[in-house]
Amino acid sequence: MIAQLKAELLKVRSTRTTAGLLLGMVALILLFVLLTGLLSSVDSLSMAENERRLFSIGALAGIFGALAGVLLVTSEYRYGTIRPTILFTPRRERVLAAKVIAATLAGIAFGVVAEAIGWALGYAILSGRGISLVLTGGDVVQLVLGSLGGVALWAAMGAGLGTILRNQVGGVITLLAWGFVVNPLLFGLVPSVGRFMPSYAQDSLIGLTTQHLLAPVAGGVVLVGWAVVLAAVGLAVTARRDIA
Amino acid sequence: MPPVVVAESLTKRFGGVVAVDDLSFELEPGTITGFLGPNGAGKTTTLRMLLGLATPTAGRALVFGQTYAELDHAALRIGAVLEATDFHPGRSGRDHLRMLGQAVGVPDSRADEVLALVELADAGGRRVKGYSLGMRQRLGLATALLGEPDLLVLDEPANGLDPEGVRWLRDFLRAFASQGRTVLVSSHALAEVAQTVDQVLIIRRGRLVVESSLEALTARVGGAVRVRSADSPRLAAALSREQLTSTKSDEHVLLVSGATTERVGEIAFAAGVPVHELVTDGSSLEEIFLELTTEAPS
Repeated sequence: MIAQLKAELLKVRSTRTTAGLLLGMVALILLFVLLTGLLSSVDSLSMAENERRLFSIGALAGIFGALAGVLLVTSEYRYGTIRPTILFTPRRERVLAAKVIAATLAGIAFGVVAEAIGWALGYAILSGRGISLVLTGGDVVQLVLGSLGGVALWAAMGAGLGTILRNQVGGVITLLAWGFVVNPLLFGLVPSVGRFMPSYAQDSLIGLTTQHLLAPVAGGVVLVGWAVVLAAVGLAVTARRDIA
Repeated sequence: MPPVVVAESLTKRFGGVVAVDDLSFELEPGTITGFLGPNGAGKTTTLRMLLGLATPTAGRALVFGQTYAELDHAALRIGAVLEATDFHPGRSGRDHLRMLGQAVGVPDSRADEVLALVELADAGGRRVKGYSLGMRQRLGLATALLGEPDLLVLDEPANGLDPEGVRWLRDFLRAFASQGRTVLVSSHALAEVAQTVDQVLIIRRGRLVVESSLEALTARVGGAVRVRSADSPRLAAALSREQLTSTKSDEHVLLVSGATTERVGEIAFAAGVPVHELVTDGSSLEEIFLELTTEAPS
């Protein structure tokens, strides 16, 4: 199992895909932190809730971690490397487990980078504008750990989703539509259901206090549930399907 | 020695279509077997079942006495290439080999060894997108060789190779089999592998139509061995003394039926006739292949 994990981690590192995603993530987070930090008024940024919003931008890493997870699986089908991969590890559940774990680790790495730049830039903007941090130590810990846990689980979900769909373009579109269209729509229309969607489960996990959100612990449990369900469905379909 | 590969009534249906139909065969160690049939005959499907990528509808395929998926460290005993293009274009050839090797505990140094073996040592660090088709074929072969296997399974390995590449592959497979290891190589053209294989399995519409040594198949062909020599009349006389009939193809070329290249070569040597060319006649082999694999008009 360790051997398979090493192999999967090498797959993550040996193409430019990961670096490209990381670069895109960094650019987007810098942009959002800059816009939020510079365009909000001093009064507004002095409120705990808005400060929390500013420092939660790093949680955007979740969608990039999920993309990394989707691509780690679907690129194997796109380029046919799934054939040698399964020939070298005929136990498909091992391949899937290694991919989920590798994606999770990649997600954590994404999260660390995202948190580091998000906090560094956000804090620099606050101090530059003479605003003091009103968040408590507990708030900060929840934001950072919640984001890291969230992105790790998003990446695992991505690997599960990719295993189920196999098609690369389909996987990426499904993920983006799910995260940016279905989740917000559902939350907007039926918040009692929408709050169980991964995007909003993550919001509750990092301590956002939007109305209708689950309690933080419940949000974490729901995220774990999504990752487990997607991986389990992936496992069930992958065991039966022939490799073309 | 027990057979390396056993197919027992192997059957695969896709919906209502029978791709592989009650196929049984065995491969002995140290042999090179050509797995032949027209495109769509079920060759690749058979190989996929053999390698655990597809589940048979009925029957089973065993390698070294077990199914591929049950076999411990299958990749260390069996090397296989199904598609010559199974690489991520943005990954270097060396990283492709390393990532597969790591999954089965093969050290990175082995990746460099096999790269050198297939003459890609200089290109190993480059991304695969810059490789020619021939280089990709050789990288595929390197992948199969990573685990130092005793059985090589190659699906259409000659596709896209230039004549030099085909010859290189032939020499390579011969050397591989001469160490007592086994090769199963598929092709849609008999002539492509006629100079490489010892025996042939020919399938048509998923059914086995011929299982034969190449010699026996050759013997079924009229004018099977083509020999170009300095003195055709003297060679023809020597052949007839050995009860072999030959026909004159042109001034210097004889076609000898029911004989092997070895036998004709020995007779020419004994008769002191210099031989300039001695081959199994691919075109006539190809004719019998077409005859065997084409539907008879009903």
